[in-house]
Amino acid sequence: MGGAPSRRFRYRGRATDARPGESLLAALSRDGLPVLERSLRYHRPRAPFCGIGQCTGCLLRVNGDPTVRSCRYLPSEEDRVDTPRGWPSVRWDVLGVLDTLFPQGIDPFRAFRRPAFAIPLYHRVVRRLSGYGPLPSGSSPGTTTPTPVVRTAEVAVVGAGASGRAVVERLVSRGIRPLLIERRTDATAVAGADLWNGVSVSFLTPPQPDQAFPFMLLGFDAAGGGVAAHARAVVVASGGYDASLLFGENDRPGVLTADAAMSLTPAQERTWFRRAIVVGGDRRVQDVLERFGHRVAAVVAPGEIRPDVVRAASERGIPLYPRSLVLRARGRSRVRGLDLQARGGGPHFSLAGDAVVLAHRRLPSAQLFPLAGARMAWHAGTGAYYPLLDPHGMTTVNGLYAVGTAAGVLESADEAAADRVSDAVAGRAEGALPPLPRVRAEGPAELEGYYRELLREPRRGRWIACRCEDVLLREVEAATRAGYRGVEVVKRYSAFGTGLCQGRYCVPDVLLLLSILEGRPTAEVGTITTRPPVFPTPLGALAELDPSTTAEAA
Amino acid sequence: MPLPRTTYRTVVVGGGIVGLFTALHLARSGAGPILVVDRGFLSSGASGRNGGGVRQQWETRATVRLARESVAAYRRFGREFGYNPWFRQTGYLFVAESTAELERLRTVHDLVRSEGLPSEVLGPEEVARRVEGIAPGSVVGGTYLRSDGTLYPFPAVWGVYEAVRSLGVDVVFGIEVLGVEVRDGAVAGVRTSAGAVTASSVVNAAGGWSGDLSRRAGLDVPNVATRHEILATEALKPFLDPMVVRISDGLYFSQTVRGEVVGGLTVSHRPGTASGMPSSPKFLTAMASALVGLLPRLARVRVLRAWSGFYDDTPDGLPMIGEDPRLKGFVQANGFGGHGFMLAPAATRRVAQAVLGEVTDLDPAVFSPARFLAPRAPAVAERLQLG
Repeated sequence: MGGAPSRRFRYRGRATDARPGESLLAALSRDGLPVLERSLRYHRPRAPFCGIGQCTGCLLRVNGDPTVRSCRYLPSEEDRVDTPRGWPSVRWDVLGVLDTLFPQGIDPFRAFRRPAFAIPLYHRVVRRLSGYGPLPSGSSPGTTTPTPVVRTAEVAVVGAGASGRAVVERLVSRGIRPLLIERRTDATAVAGADLWNGVSVSFLTPPQPDQAFPFMLLGFDAAGGGVAAHARAVVVASGGYDASLLFGENDRPGVLTADAAMSLTPAQERTWFRRAIVVGGDRRVQDVLERFGHRVAAVVAPGEIRPDVVRAASERGIPLYPRSLVLRARGRSRVRGLDLQARGGGPHFSLAGDAVVLAHRRLPSAQLFPLAGARMAWHAGTGAYYPLLDPHGMTTVNGLYAVGTAAGVLESADEAAADRVSDAVAGRAEGALPPLPRVRAEGPAELEGYYRELLREPRRGRWIACRCEDVLLREVEAATRAGYRGVEVVKRYSAFGTGLCQGRYCVPDVLLLLSILEGRPTAEVGTITTRPPVFPTPLGALAELDPSTTAEAA
Repeated sequence: MPLPRTTYRTVVVGGGIVGLFTALHLARSGAGPILVVDRGFLSSGASGRNGGGVRQQWETRATVRLARESVAAYRRFGREFGYNPWFRQTGYLFVAESTAELERLRTVHDLVRSEGLPSEVLGPEEVARRVEGIAPGSVVGGTYLRSDGTLYPFPAVWGVYEAVRSLGVDVVFGIEVLGVEVRDGAVAGVRTSAGAVTASSVVNAAGGWSGDLSRRAGLDVPNVATRHEILATEALKPFLDPMVVRISDGLYFSQTVRGEVVGGLTVSHRPGTASGMPSSPKFLTAMASALVGLLPRLARVRVLRAWSGFYDDTPDGLPMIGEDPRLKGFVQANGFGGHGFMLAPAATRRVAQAVLGEVTDLDPAVFSPARFLAPRAPAVAERLQLG
């Protein structure tokens, strides 16, 4: 990478350069946090939020494809890049007036019903306003390989983070050559293992017992081509991500997750924020302080702040606000501060800052487990579902293992599980083992209590429950009031969780919320069925994997 | 959850669109008290899992008529029920890959026209005008009926659900009907997972589970639940108006008001409800390959989610509507073969009439449950079953 030249692409007609290894987003945001998106219903300005290719905050149109996540896209020479939404531009969008005109929101399933003669017109207008952009022209990207890449491996390890690498190193030392699959494009190789960079695994099948390699993984590569892997055992080390939080104007540009902050390039680091307000009190805040200590204006925690975080903040002279309700982000096109109230009816505070970094809760990326048929268990401490594991780190599906954050461990590398999993996979498992230390009570063990208190406070501004589909908190509450109960029913009623992030950022909070609104435990509110694909997957990639057409081609 | 009461006049098993509409017609006739009981949650069955198509192009005249009446009901729906299902009449376009298939469509076209619906036969160029970017040479022609269309199933379900509740119908979820009580050859009630209920009539509107329910009532029926899969993509600006259906493999897809491409394709799965409703890689790859093959412009569009649901199939492809001749008070309203949503408003009117002991205008040879008891195969069959 180091010696590669810069690449020159065209952004809204202007020639722009990307440095080697630099993402499209990084190249476009050297001068500051960019507004690249307008939200679907109310055309609110949106800026990058997750930084790891999951949300809709940095979608750009690249060579006609309107939903390219620019934080994960490496521009090529001659790419044509544009902002897909907003008229006349994404910064000055006339339809932004909808946000002001409809303070109560628009219920698409109640409105536009009469008069009868106007209905075809409503359909035409609403269709025109919906959607991310025009259908990409051209049949398929030129870079797509004509046939899928199919590999077979003894063990497939999904995720090249610290825990995935720990497993891979141990497997190599036990004489196994694993296939390490990583969604990012820049993981470094591990000696003795095959590395597959830039591959998103969208589907993991339940094991087919009659097959020599019972597991099949389907996915796509960075160029949008189909890939498949067959494996005898699968170790999922898909990690986790920083959660969203409900408060007024929680989608303002400048509200972003710790993932997004941590993934900034040095150039962005200088321009995205100078005085960040960090939300959280646990280990993840420590990561943020270590990297951005000099740019943090305050630490605000929904609950207590861990002693080591208190120490680290005090050393840097950063004020702390433990046990605080986050009420509202101030500022319009950019966050300018955060309004708080000490819990238990305490005093109000109004902090100044140019970013709000969410580091309060780390959630597992655990979608592959239920797809393969593994049983999941709810953990109230972190407010998430994790796979049930035996002492060897195996799920309830024979041959499917879990390590790291996806398995409920928040340390940087899950060494304990890595040892046991690699022993088990290598057939060296010892007999009786104590249970693995899993799912610590770290995180918002009482986020539910926090929300219970928060929801009693008067509200100001828009509270966005689902960023992708612009669903308001009040719409979720309206569903409950109308007698719609359970997360699956309310999901259909309010349309939260149906957008491009596939529910990653809204479902965890709405689950807690419904538990409060319906007055019953989260387990009874239910869970959203995990539906494939795990990542939005191009039809072209899936088509390449169709055995009937590949057989014809052969 | 306990049942609100233990005595009803009618118990409707199944809280999907068929069960809810039936309860609505019954409640409007003042035939209460009525209980609707469902084993899942609202919209957990096929009523919340279908592709939203509503068409009037069928091979059987009786079905065309029910469908035409249902289209009229969905046109009024938004004004009548307070929810907007976004029923959009931009047509169903059936495409044929061979002249034999086109001949079959022509027969359908003749029948549909004879019922006063302005169906059109299209050549390949006219198909290409309506489906921009269709692969050259992929079709020899098709038929098109503009007044067919698509809707969002959920708001339609909510509208009827709230209407029946406001009429005093009890609707309960998460409760399974375990058996049917029979006294002197007539229905006396049901046993549920929440206790016994006394009722003089039971409507079997259980969709994919209706065969199971009939068998629990001691009735041998030919219903088979088959799992069908479907997917949805990211939302794009409008590029496709009609619902496109290919009769060779049952591929169907449309673009919703919101902009997603939603569609399905037949891949075979083991029959029955036991395996649940997972999605298979077999479907995802076959569907993608069929879609991209017919409309190569879709290659870069991303799939967001896939799901599946049950069709409730009968041997002749036609629903069972009416009282089961073997058990007084047991009314069948099932076997819709994946098309319950599009026929429900009209079909359930007749179901309610059957519950009330009134004579319906349906031909018993076509719709009566009795047709499967005769030694001969039923006289009519509907084979335009797709997806």
